[in-house]
Amino acid sequence: MSLVQALVLAVLQGFSELFPISSLGHTVLVPAYFHWNIDRADPGFLAFVVALHLGTALALVVFYWSEWVRIVRALVASVVRGEIGANPDERLAWLLVIGTLPVGILGVFLEKMVRHLFGSTAIVAGFLIVNAGVMFLGERLQRRQHEQQGRGLRPLEKLSWSDAVKVGFAQALALFPGISRSGVSIVAGILLDLDHEAAAHYAFLLATPVIGAASLLELPRLFEPAAHDVLWLSVGGAVISGITAYASVAFLTRYFRSNDLRPFGWYCLGAGLLSLLLLFGKVIS
Amino acid sequence: MKSAPSVVKYLPLVVALVCFAVALLYATGATSLGYHLKHSVLFAILGVLALVGGRFLAKTQVKTRSRAGSR
Repeated sequence: MSLVQALVLAVLQGFSELFPISSLGHTVLVPAYFHWNIDRADPGFLAFVVALHLGTALALVVFYWSEWVRIVRALVASVVRGEIGANPDERLAWLLVIGTLPVGILGVFLEKMVRHLFGSTAIVAGFLIVNAGVMFLGERLQRRQHEQQGRGLRPLEKLSWSDAVKVGFAQALALFPGISRSGVSIVAGILLDLDHEAAAHYAFLLATPVIGAASLLELPRLFEPAAHDVLWLSVGGAVISGITAYASVAFLTRYFRSNDLRPFGWYCLGAGLLSLLLLFGKVIS
Repeated sequence: MKSAPSVVKYLPLVVALVCFAVALLYATGATSLGYHLKHSVLFAILGVLALVGGRFLAKTQVKTRSRAGSR
């Protein structure tokens, strides 16, 4: 892996992990566009990917640092007392725990199988189009809920425990390469009557333990002999991926105050269709 | 026959112990699947959550009983 490839992949990871456009899908499609011959099973490359994810998770923790401190304190206090109090942070902490369980359980058991079965460029391009469809449908259904059924918006703390499980299962759809974790979580959130800002906020908080735990569990890869060759690329990649992820989450939290998911839907639709066309034309493989 | 509250009291503990046992099996590679760090960590977390859930249930039962007693 060259320096330019590492740089592009680091920026791509930090950017696409939080934008609702599927980071996994992009890390399959972009190397195909540039005809990069990257061995995804190579221990050095796997160590590099772990470092990128670690950088992204750290960026999310830093961005929401004061909130995470409050959430962890509230969770510890709740466990010590043996009950969930009226403090909104305690409720949010348990919403995050419950929302993380589905993707944690399904991810541990199904991740390898799903990625093995659905990891080809054509299938990833197809899932990118599905991702676009999910976002368009989510926006349309949300508008119908509010205009025709007269349902109002509610704050994040008013989500029920079953709602947290629903968002958690929606997040698990991101195991399919091409389906965006933040995208499906935000769609689930807006269909449960959160506004876009609150849905994105919950999606980013929910993504932090998942990305963090996944990279921490893979951390031993960074100390394998094959990783020594890419040590500095991994460190640099993690820093760049972290900075890009921080800038992305800062932008998106502002963006979702007054905008919706449709522009990302159009992008995913275009990228998916273009990739399929190029694949059938044998321009990329 | 055991009363419902005592079953509720001990069920999370049993679930937690099973989870910890499975976590240990995965950590030592004693399962047919061999050593799996991710599986082991997942079952350990589920065990801790079962214990926490048991504590929450016990607290709820104490509250329910004290409310029933005060009537």
